[in-house]
Amino acid sequence: MNHDWLANNTFHHSDFVDLSQLLARKREQNLTISLCLPTLNEEKTIAKEIVIMKSELMTRYPLLDEIIVIDSGSEDKTVEVAKYYGARVYYSDQILPGLKRFRGKGENLWKALYITEGDIIIYLDTDIKNIHHRFAYALLGPLLLYERIKFCKAFYDRPLSEGKALRPTGGGRVTELLIRPLFSLFFPELTQIMQPLSGEYAGYREIFEKLSFPIGYGIETSMLLDIFTGWGLDVIAQVDLDRRVHRNQSTKALGKMAFAILHRFINRVTKYGMIDAKTALFKEMIQYNQLNNEYQLDIFEFDETERPPMIDIPEYRRKFDYPENGTAGDVRE
Amino acid sequence: MDHFLEKIPGFLSVIEGCRDTMITNIVLIGEKAAPTFKEGERVKTFVNRLITSGVDECTFDSIQNPIGIIRGKGEKPPILLVAHLDTFVDQIEDFNYTIKKNMISGPGVSDNSVGVGTLASLPQLLRKLNLQFESDILLAGVIQSIGKGNLRGIRHLLKSWSDPVRGAVCIEGVELGRLNYFSEGMIRAEIDCISSLKGEFDRYNHPNAILVINEVINRMLEIRLPKKPRSKVVIGRVSGGVNHGKNAETANIGFEIRSDSDEIVKEIYRDVEDIIENFRHIYHVDLNIKTISNLNAAHLRFNHPLVKSSYRVIRALGLEPVVRSSESELSILLSHQIPAVTLGMTHSAKTDPESNVEIKPLFKGIAQLVGVLMAIDQGVCDEP
Repeated sequence: MNHDWLANNTFHHSDFVDLSQLLARKREQNLTISLCLPTLNEEKTIAKEIVIMKSELMTRYPLLDEIIVIDSGSEDKTVEVAKYYGARVYYSDQILPGLKRFRGKGENLWKALYITEGDIIIYLDTDIKNIHHRFAYALLGPLLLYERIKFCKAFYDRPLSEGKALRPTGGGRVTELLIRPLFSLFFPELTQIMQPLSGEYAGYREIFEKLSFPIGYGIETSMLLDIFTGWGLDVIAQVDLDRRVHRNQSTKALGKMAFAILHRFINRVTKYGMIDAKTALFKEMIQYNQLNNEYQLDIFEFDETERPPMIDIPEYRRKFDYPENGTAGDVRE
Repeated sequence: MDHFLEKIPGFLSVIEGCRDTMITNIVLIGEKAAPTFKEGERVKTFVNRLITSGVDECTFDSIQNPIGIIRGKGEKPPILLVAHLDTFVDQIEDFNYTIKKNMISGPGVSDNSVGVGTLASLPQLLRKLNLQFESDILLAGVIQSIGKGNLRGIRHLLKSWSDPVRGAVCIEGVELGRLNYFSEGMIRAEIDCISSLKGEFDRYNHPNAILVINEVINRMLEIRLPKKPRSKVVIGRVSGGVNHGKNAETANIGFEIRSDSDEIVKEIYRDVEDIIENFRHIYHVDLNIKTISNLNAAHLRFNHPLVKSSYRVIRALGLEPVVRSSESELSILLSHQIPAVTLGMTHSAKTDPESNVEIKPLFKGIAQLVGVLMAIDQGVCDEP
């Protein structure tokens, strides 16, 4: 196992506080950068995220070339507020309208590849209550300053000891009870990634466009596994953002998430030839609610649909001037 | 005078163009908890935002009041802009603000995150407005201001700032249109009553502290107050007891004595001390009064050029000035013979005014501040 990775590829946001240095590197490399914010009913938090990012990373230090919001059909004022504060807002359904429509965060992230123009794309969740522009610039730092790094993921607590006391790694319940045990079993090197499920990450388009995207839960896990198996651990970095405050999910909701992630994981390790599943997996997560002393079934049906690598989509190839008939395999280095 | 008044409404579009930056400063500074005496994190963030905003210089006095300096082009004494950094919110953990279409919400946003955020935005705003001043502009975020802070921050700042100050503006988050140029004399005090286990009383027979405090209040209401100089006693806070079925062993009130005359304030305070002394003996309880803060009465005359100019600036923006006394940094500035006014930057929202402010009026609030700054720079405070 490569133990050096943790020391060499783990950063703290304060390492990248010199925004003029990041801007200089961006200009030297002639890069463009897009910030993508996927939304579904985030009227309480979306405005702050847009305002702070625009003020600090577009007006003061023009690190970002565009901020786009991709909405999955919010029923609150998310879209109205996002437009009011100057973000470019797209309804997910209206992007690539010729394709079958799906709902889910992964779908939005995948479609963002078509809508955005940047060489680097930053994805940030939009339920962050304590948003600060470090959430974006700290993810950009390793990508701009270290040539080897192509994908950077956030975590929120320091994994190392603080004085004599050890702080926990800060992973959530699903991370600690599901992902970390799975990684320990199949990909021990990936256990060095403190929060594999964090929704804040950035990377080069040249990587994202070659990944298939699950439309719903499990996008973060499958993305990490595919980058690790396709490009290796050294292209991945992680950055400590100190603290993230967001909505807390119920254990039951996390159960559904864990079910979907487990599905994706088994799908991936089967595809990589690491296990041989003799039977197909059931797609329904069965939970129960108690109502008036009766138990009611609560069934979550997992949609295993995945979008193919964006580079295989003809409209995308035309927009980004790829030859008409190629595939992801043609351009993978 | 009039030629710059005409420019002020034209500032609005430029200021509105800096909306995101102003909101960002208010939010990032306001989210740092800053109860009085624990303003350290907010001080750091304020200084960081000043530097990001392109202030020419940053410094601290010996109690860590942070001061940004925008260099002027002339030799005139500096103009001081002040906003207090501490907040009435006791919470030590940072909080999270939210932004809606025309509103910023969060603990302490009106008092005084908007004021401090405005201060931090000024270097950039003045550059965008293409304004340069004869005087240096001092942007002081003062600590230890409210409550038990007793305005220590501004007192210390003025004590340690040996050079003359040309004029000053105190910046408060709300309400837009306020124009304060005088302060009443004031003593803020608390009376504590502890009645448990005194002398021969057991826990069932000791005097009820709430009833003792009630007696004190009744006697305070009997104190004769002159109509001229205007004087009043405000009982603003009361607490006591533990639960419904137990005689209260402790009770407390917080009050202020205010008057246009410092002498009257002292007289009334002495009367309250006599009441306390009397009931202490009657009820055999620990009954004590302690002063939290005090201010001397101070004022600019109503026809002082700074007051008249401030009126004109506020009216030039279509607002009607609202004149009241203000017991804040203003009092200390005026008592140091520094011509000063207090201005409000925006409106609080109707629901939960402490925690919600409107965004759009802020543009007028800042235009008004810039207008008054220009008036001071043109000499309205320079006459003896």
